[in-house]
Amino acid sequence: MAARLERLPFGVGQAPGRWKLWIAVLTAIAILGWYGWYLEISRGMIVTGLRDIGPMGGATWGMDVSFIVYFVGVSFAGITVAALVRLAEVKALRPIARMAEVLTVVALVLAAFAIMYDLGHPLRGIVNLFKYARPQSPFFGTFTLVISGYLFASLVYLYLGGRADAARCAEVPSRLQGFYRLWAAGYRDTPAALERHNRASFWLAIAIVPLLVVAHSTLGFVFGLQVGRPGWYSALQAPSFVLLAGVSGIGMLILVAAVVRRTVPGSDRLNEVVFRWLGNALMILLLAYLYFMVVELLTSIYTGAERERAVTEALLGGRYAPVYWSAVALLVIPLSLLLMRYFRRATGLATLVASGVMVNLSAMAKRFLIVVPSQTHGTLLPYQAGSYAPTWVEWAEMAGLIAFGALLLAVFAKLFPIMPVEGGES
Amino acid sequence: MRRRLVVWLMVAVGFGLQAVTYLFLATPIGRPTDDSFSNPRIPFAPVLFILGVVLVFLAAVVYEVLPEEKHHDR
Amino acid sequence: MTRYGMVIDLDRCTGCRACMEACKVENNTPEATFWMYVFRFEEGEYPDTRVRFMPRPCMHCDNAPCVKVCPVGARYKREDGLVATDWERCIGCRYCEVACPYGVNTFNWTHPEEQYYLDWDGGIPPWANPDLTEPYGDEQRRIAGGGRDKGVIEKCTFCVQRVEQGLNPACVHGCPLKALVFGDLDDPESEPSRLLRRKQGFRLLEEVGTEPRVHYVGGGPPTENSRQIDAVEARV
Repeated sequence: MAARLERLPFGVGQAPGRWKLWIAVLTAIAILGWYGWYLEISRGMIVTGLRDIGPMGGATWGMDVSFIVYFVGVSFAGITVAALVRLAEVKALRPIARMAEVLTVVALVLAAFAIMYDLGHPLRGIVNLFKYARPQSPFFGTFTLVISGYLFASLVYLYLGGRADAARCAEVPSRLQGFYRLWAAGYRDTPAALERHNRASFWLAIAIVPLLVVAHSTLGFVFGLQVGRPGWYSALQAPSFVLLAGVSGIGMLILVAAVVRRTVPGSDRLNEVVFRWLGNALMILLLAYLYFMVVELLTSIYTGAERERAVTEALLGGRYAPVYWSAVALLVIPLSLLLMRYFRRATGLATLVASGVMVNLSAMAKRFLIVVPSQTHGTLLPYQAGSYAPTWVEWAEMAGLIAFGALLLAVFAKLFPIMPVEGGES
Repeated sequence: MRRRLVVWLMVAVGFGLQAVTYLFLATPIGRPTDDSFSNPRIPFAPVLFILGVVLVFLAAVVYEVLPEEKHHDR
Repeated sequence: MTRYGMVIDLDRCTGCRACMEACKVENNTPEATFWMYVFRFEEGEYPDTRVRFMPRPCMHCDNAPCVKVCPVGARYKREDGLVATDWERCIGCRYCEVACPYGVNTFNWTHPEEQYYLDWDGGIPPWANPDLTEPYGDEQRRIAGGGRDKGVIEKCTFCVQRVEQGLNPACVHGCPLKALVFGDLDDPESEPSRLLRRKQGFRLLEEVGTEPRVHYVGGGPPTENSRQIDAVEARV
């Protein structure tokens, strides 16, 4: 049996000044984002840079949809790590399992917000989706399996995984004791309970992995099935969405883990082994994703129907070239850094964190490049080429969401142990 | 014993609900040629689908959290 | 079974765009929004240039991608062939707009008062025209372009409010050269059917598989060499 806790671990329940400052800044940015949404609701989506495809020469899906896809992509990481711990029995990754699960939940919440931002009638959207959602539409999968199913499954996984630690935290007298007791729900540290937990987690992981693949693939199908959109219509969309999700998710997880390592007292279990694992996983996913990018590029420039070629030209040398080549660089540079790190068995955190940040920036740009150029330059009928530039409202909304996500993570870390407590099961 | 029964029941009902809703109750799948292809056969059919997904995962919670039965001394 | 369709005679079209004007007046579309659009193409190099014109309404496809992707069933296909948008159910996700290969959908980006040509003090503003705000069809859904609800998608309705009264759509009615012909394509003696028999026709983007109900006769589809001139560069 584990020793009784004397204090709440990992800085839980304490609110140092630096943390409060950080929370204040994040809250301010989040409020700015919600103010942008308020403008969007009151004046209409005209406050964004989106406009109609076709004669009006705009793009109707822009930053908002790019970020929906990006956030759902980031949510890939958590459950993958959890599944690796349970199914592949990679015990070394146990210390990050909980923050990975929290990252998944937070990312899905942000995706749900981003969907609300994107709808012309958000409230009607919620009601009508629950009332009328059609399975023929790829959005059905996104709505039911991703936002509802995947989010719920992640919450269940997080909840069950935290019960043991909640029971131990409940032993320490504190203001949060009631909360921990509720979470623990009568957990008793018996061998039978442990075995039940292991079995339940195992089967949960087995159930969540196909859900994850289906969820990300459905998101890919939203784009890949549209025959009227050159640049989208491709069988590669679903698998490449899954891969880029893995890249951005692991990258974000590296960032979160590094921040935890630096700021949370007692987090030395987040050692080199964990980070090396994450770095290698990111490296492999990057290699696979770059392979997909090369295949897509070669296919579209080799012969390419006229409209496909127009989109590709806009990406490679036209209007979107700066964004495209930055996205490529932000994938190739981290890959080189990670390869060097792998072969030299280096141990520094800095390159790893830098890689994590770069691949996430690239993922944001890449999502944008998937969504927008096909609308402005890829119309099948010969309309004039269009243009799209996000307004401050869209930038504010997305920055606000990212800040809100960071806020949720920071608050969670103070309410509950961000890592499994030593000596217990996670 | 009771625990296993409840859990299996929840999983079965959950998957069953998903299958039934998807195949029979939600909007008919097929070439959209008239108005009936835009309405679900019962309103809020998607809620039932989500309920099915939720039930399956709640079964895991039930499995872990349901208190032990009092065993008779053997 | 009445199945409406349209045949456009490109030999007659002079690109005057009266149909665009008629559509706008009939349906009171807001600024920069054109449900009917007329392409003006130039082909060849000077001095051997040729100018062609091509009206493009909504195709009301039989295998419409917009109907397939609508998450809530707001975009649906009626039995009489019209592809309609129920603006009371539409949630403004704009998936139909990205899915349409022809680019016919328009979104209401802001309140109607802010995107109209004139100020309307008193009286019924054009977007509240009762003809446009009533429900139509056996299914009794609000599908004519009324309300101009902020945040929903709208498009060419084949003037359902006129068709239900036995009239032709506004573009057909307003064309001075009778280049647009509307009627029941299932009826072999209707005007469009007879026109299709007389002249060889084609449909736009047939290879995409949407099965449009708008046929073109007397000309050809735009080619790689077609450049658009006089584009309507209106933006909200």
